[in-house]
Formats: sequence, C-alpha cells, structure tokens
Amino acid sequence: MRETHFKSLQYLTGIGIFFLVGLHLLISHLSSGEPEAWSSVAKRAASAGWLTIYILILIFGIYHVMHGVRGIVLEFSLPPTAVKALNWAIIFIGVAIFGYAVYIPINAYMV
Amino acid sequence: MKATSDAKIPLPNRLGIKGWAWAGRYKIERYLYTLHRITGVGLAAYIFIHLIANGFRLGGEDTWEGIMSAFSNPGIKVGEYLVMAAFIIHALNGGRLILQHMGLTLGKPNPPIYPYVDSMRRRRPLTWIMLAVIAALAIYVLVEFVISGA
Repeated sequence: MRETHFKSLQYLTGIGIFFLVGLHLLISHLSSGEPEAWSSVAKRAASAGWLTIYILILIFGIYHVMHGVRGIVLEFSLPPTAVKALNWAIIFIGVAIFGYAVYIPINAYMV
Repeated sequence: MKATSDAKIPLPNRLGIKGWAWAGRYKIERYLYTLHRITGVGLAAYIFIHLIANGFRLGGEDTWEGIMSAFSNPGIKVGEYLVMAAFIIHALNGGRLILQHMGLTLGKPNPPIYPYVDSMRRRRPLTWIMLAVIAALAIYVLVEFVISGA
C-alpha cells in the first residue's frame, strides 16, 4: 500500500510538473524578447508569484526525479537491506538538492 | 505463509541494463518504456545542470551575463531542442501511462470470441495518436523556436 501511495504521488507530481514547467518554458525560455537578460531575470526574481512557482517546481520535480531513479535502481533485484539503504540515500540526496536549489530563488527574492 | 515470505525476495533481473535496449520481440509499448526511461534520465541530468547554472545568478549581473554568453552557441541550441523534445515525449507518454494504469482506456469488456482482442491492442490507437501528437509538437518547436528563432 505504501508503494501505491508513492506511485500515486509520482503521477500527481508528473501532472503538476507538466503545467508548471510548461508555464516556465513558455514564459522564461520560449517567449519573445530577452527572457534570459539580467533585467528580465531580476524582475522575475522579485515576484512572489514566480518564487512560489519555482518552489513548487522544485518540490514536484525533485520528488518525481528521485522516485524515478529509485524505481530504476529497484529493477536490479536488491536485497531488503540494500533497499532500505537506497531509500535513505534517495531521501538524503533529494533533501540536499532541494536545500541548494531553493536557496537560489529565495536569496534572489530577498535581495 | 510461504508465499508471503517468498514475495519479499525479488525476481532476478536477468537482462539488467541491456533490457532497456532490447528485451526480445515485444510490441511498441515495450519500447516506449525504453524511450520514457531514456528521456527521464536525460531530463534529470538536464535539471541538475540547469540548477547549477542558476546558481551563477548569485554572483550578480556580470557573472550571469558571462555564463549566458557562454551558453549562446549552436551546440547549446541543439541541446535545448533535445531537452524540449524529451519533455514532450516524457510528458505525453507519462499521460498515456497514467490513463492506462487507471484503466480509463480499456474500453468495455468483450466476450472472448476468436480472434481475441487483448487490452493492449484495444489501447493501441491511443499510442499511435500520442506518437502523432509528439511528432507534430516536435516539428512545431523545431520550426517555431529553433529555425525561426535562430
């Protein structure tokens, strides 16, 4: 049952990523003008709405990636102790990446 | 009791990583699994590079403009297109998988009359429609944002 919940979260985060990253791509990378110029980047960084979107993308994205990686590694028929170690490694790496990645938009917003 | 204890021992993965590329004479859905995996791993790698690049923002305007000018070359443009194509494939195939896992594309049950139509064949039109949409979107992004935007 626990795995079913993890899988359901994988689906929900996938749907969330589709809409949020789609929005991010359309506005930040594919729009006309110069979305990657410093003035555009600084303007987005000062917006609470964009900060919220970036944090949501990070939460959904990191869960989706780390759960996906876990699924790939689990295909290699690991013994139960190795699965336990893998679970902790996935949580640790995921939290570490989130901590690094979330610092960037929060720092930019505060400055 | 025995079945419960045996269930904890995973079946051996005889093919290993080779199974991603070739698992035998399977149908297209089996190889969409391979494509989903390759695009997923590629997107994960890109996300980490993207996060590292974003970190340069903390260095201020000069650092940011420097890294952006380093990224503005044709090789990076091709890489960005591949990321977009991978995103389209992974997203649409993921949507197909969600629909199928939830049983929404199975259709009504049929009586078992020969020639039997299994659930995979009943779902196949959705697979072909999805592949057509992927091809159309990949061409649109190529023309609109890469060729026209170059």
